[in-house]
Amino acid sequence: MTGPLLDIRDYRLDIGTFDGPVHVLKGINLTVNRGDTLGIVGESGSGKTVLVRSVLGIGPKNSRVVEGGITFDGQDITRLSEKDWTKIRGIRISMIFQDPMTYLNPLFTVGRQISDVIAAHEKAAGQGVSPKAARRARTEELLDQVGLPNPSMLFGQYPHQLSGGMRQRVLIAMALAGKPDLLIADEPTTALDVTVQAQVLDLINSLVEKLNLTVVMISHDIGAIATVAKRCAVMYRGEIVEQGLTADILSRPQHEYTRRLLAAVPDIDAAAAKIPAEPVAPEPAGPGALLEAIDLRKIYRSQSGAEVAAVKGISLSVRTGEIFGVVGESGSGKSTLARMLLRLIEPTSGDIIFDGRNISGLAGEPLRQMRRHMQFVFQNPHSALNGRHTIGDAIGEPLRIQTGMSRRDIEARAEALLDIVQLPKMFKYRYPHELSGGQKQRVCIARAIALNPRLLILDEPTSALDISVQAQVLDFLQQLRAELNLTYVFISHNLAVIRQICDRTIVMKRGEIVEQGETERLFLSPQQDYTRTLIESGRKTSRAANLADHAG
Amino acid sequence: MLTFAFRKLLTLVGTMIGIAALTFLITNVAPGDPARLVAGPNATEDMVATIRTEYGLDKSLPEQFIVYMGDLMRGDLGQSIVTTRPVMEEVLRYAPATLELVFVAMALGIVVGVPLGMLSAVYKDGPLDHVTRIFSISGVALPAFWFGIILQLMFAVDLGWLPVSGRLPLVTRPPETVTGLLLVDSLISGRFQTFWTSLQHIILPAVVLSFPCLASILRVNRAEMIEVLQSDYIVAARAHGIASFRIVALYALKNAMLPTLAMIGLRFGWMLGSTVLVETVFDWPGIGLYAVSSALSSDFKPVIGVTLMIGFFFIVANTLVDLAYAWIDPRLRSA
Repeated sequence: MTGPLLDIRDYRLDIGTFDGPVHVLKGINLTVNRGDTLGIVGESGSGKTVLVRSVLGIGPKNSRVVEGGITFDGQDITRLSEKDWTKIRGIRISMIFQDPMTYLNPLFTVGRQISDVIAAHEKAAGQGVSPKAARRARTEELLDQVGLPNPSMLFGQYPHQLSGGMRQRVLIAMALAGKPDLLIADEPTTALDVTVQAQVLDLINSLVEKLNLTVVMISHDIGAIATVAKRCAVMYRGEIVEQGLTADILSRPQHEYTRRLLAAVPDIDAAAAKIPAEPVAPEPAGPGALLEAIDLRKIYRSQSGAEVAAVKGISLSVRTGEIFGVVGESGSGKSTLARMLLRLIEPTSGDIIFDGRNISGLAGEPLRQMRRHMQFVFQNPHSALNGRHTIGDAIGEPLRIQTGMSRRDIEARAEALLDIVQLPKMFKYRYPHELSGGQKQRVCIARAIALNPRLLILDEPTSALDISVQAQVLDFLQQLRAELNLTYVFISHNLAVIRQICDRTIVMKRGEIVEQGETERLFLSPQQDYTRTLIESGRKTSRAANLADHAG
Repeated sequence: MLTFAFRKLLTLVGTMIGIAALTFLITNVAPGDPARLVAGPNATEDMVATIRTEYGLDKSLPEQFIVYMGDLMRGDLGQSIVTTRPVMEEVLRYAPATLELVFVAMALGIVVGVPLGMLSAVYKDGPLDHVTRIFSISGVALPAFWFGIILQLMFAVDLGWLPVSGRLPLVTRPPETVTGLLLVDSLISGRFQTFWTSLQHIILPAVVLSFPCLASILRVNRAEMIEVLQSDYIVAARAHGIASFRIVALYALKNAMLPTLAMIGLRFGWMLGSTVLVETVFDWPGIGLYAVSSALSSDFKPVIGVTLMIGFFFIVANTLVDLAYAWIDPRLRSA
């Protein structure tokens, strides 16, 4: 029992596609000893998820191991039969997942799902399934172990009745059901709010200590890795480019890619080195407010008649030429607010004043005309582009709708726009699936600026992107603002990003503004408890990742 | 859940009133003078006028509508001209035969369609998937009357395994009427021989009626299963060590059943409509056959009665589907 718990040797894996095999993993070497906490960091497409799923035998269907193998506790598990897997999966190795929203079956109660897992394990162990009551007791014990209050009530609840953080705890309880030797955590915090992220990471740390768990955690968030893992491996394009103690890698990255990755992580504790906007020409028109919202409210009424206020009377004023930040956790109403500003969602009451004109009463043609001046960039560029339209069509669309430009002019303008967002002209013939996430977001931005708008509302424009890409897009957005004299409303849950680029910021919670002011002031001397909690939680992972800067 | 059920019940009543209004409107905008039709081609003007007053056709349209709705409330669908008996009584006499046929056909569609769809999804692009694909395309494409005749020729005429048409042989005395469904009544009265004969009679028409329905249930279930099997919670269930069979047959199927149920509800109504063709081919004494023979003799009250009856069963079936939805999906119960 002295050998390593998990040993991956020269592991090569191909995935068969229509165009022939793709080499997804190119000779992976990893060892994990009992009691280790190993982090694997890498961006989307680096192969980290395929790697950990192979360890559990749930890799992609059409994959083929070309070379090498995986040994678990002395047993070769590279090509196990489905029957033998049942003795390992969930019992000796278990897994927690990225999005607790989608990894729980919506039609079964929490209790049923966990006790089913317990029953499956008992069956696999050949003990015969214990009675319902015993499984219920064990389930409630597990729920208690992961820090969930009132386990007996929770037992009969459905996933949709729980918050994101609670669901992630339920998934962790499920993973612990078989008292596993090895726990694999696949981006366990990515889909969670900052404050919840910190709690879940704390929970994992405490479980490691209490249950003597061995953990392999993968994430693109180097901060999350640094809070949990003692050792760390950096994956890039199917290879491990660097591994060692996490502290060493953070302070002395050897590989060029690791260095780039670390540099891209925004630091919550660093004042922004902003690209100065065009010396904000004091506009002669009015007090300089481009967009104002006065007592904006949105109330949703459910079928049963209950009223839910998504936004409760928000007033704000965005000055011409500034980047106006809106920060808050999910459910705070920030996206509803953003959509109301553009009248994509109809406010229940309140006024929206754009450039001195009240647009809340506009309808039909005047509203359409007004939309030329204000455009929206969505969170997820992968779903914001129609997969059946070429990039040229996508960018030309607003021009076709809003202007009488000829086909040839539109094409020329689309090329010019691609140039502005620093993409090759020939991209106009491509389709969205041929582009990377960062490229797609640039296309979305090009589409948004096609009509020379004065205001861009950016709803979490970087949260679906990898960290290094996020850095590029943020830089680019700042440049673009300077060049085109734009005003941004920038929505994000990521405080480090907000600090990096926003001039003034409002902090939202449950549909209300908790605090507002100059971004720097907000970070240096927050007045409200909620703002402080938010910054503290964000700091936890941010600081771990920016260890190097703080040490040196 | 109770308020949900209550709300669905209210919707049911509302829709029923809507259907009644619509049928009234359609019969009144249709060309032709109903009084003249009733009186027959050789009637004098006087006779037509008498009939007009007798049937209340001389009143204004709104007045007629109120009378019509009032009659409906009392369960009065008017009289058949051919048989001179209340339409309600006749429809109720023929309805069990149709319902029996539709129930058996629906059961066939679900019992065969759902598992086949499930298996086609699990073994996607395998031999079984190809076979079911051909099967379901022909199911939707084949016209019912043609398919019915082919089956009659094969299994009844050539092979002689099954009877050609009808519900029971003329010589067989039907069991005592309890539900009106022969399969059930014969079991209640303990006449297993009669049960066996009526089962033989129902097989061919039920197969013909269920074939398109089975095909669409199969396709919807297959598509949904494929989607659900790729979902994150299925991956998670595998990772937690749940057995494959349990994952497919319980975890995935329950999720895939939601859209399948919607299809079942729709198909139920479609089936009721199709009985008109199938009952004619198989000489099945149900409301479809009744509607056809009434229409051929320009007897309109029965046609309207049958239309209302089919509408009623269709709405009831869809209300049941809605309730089943809420029963399966906890997210709908609170909505």
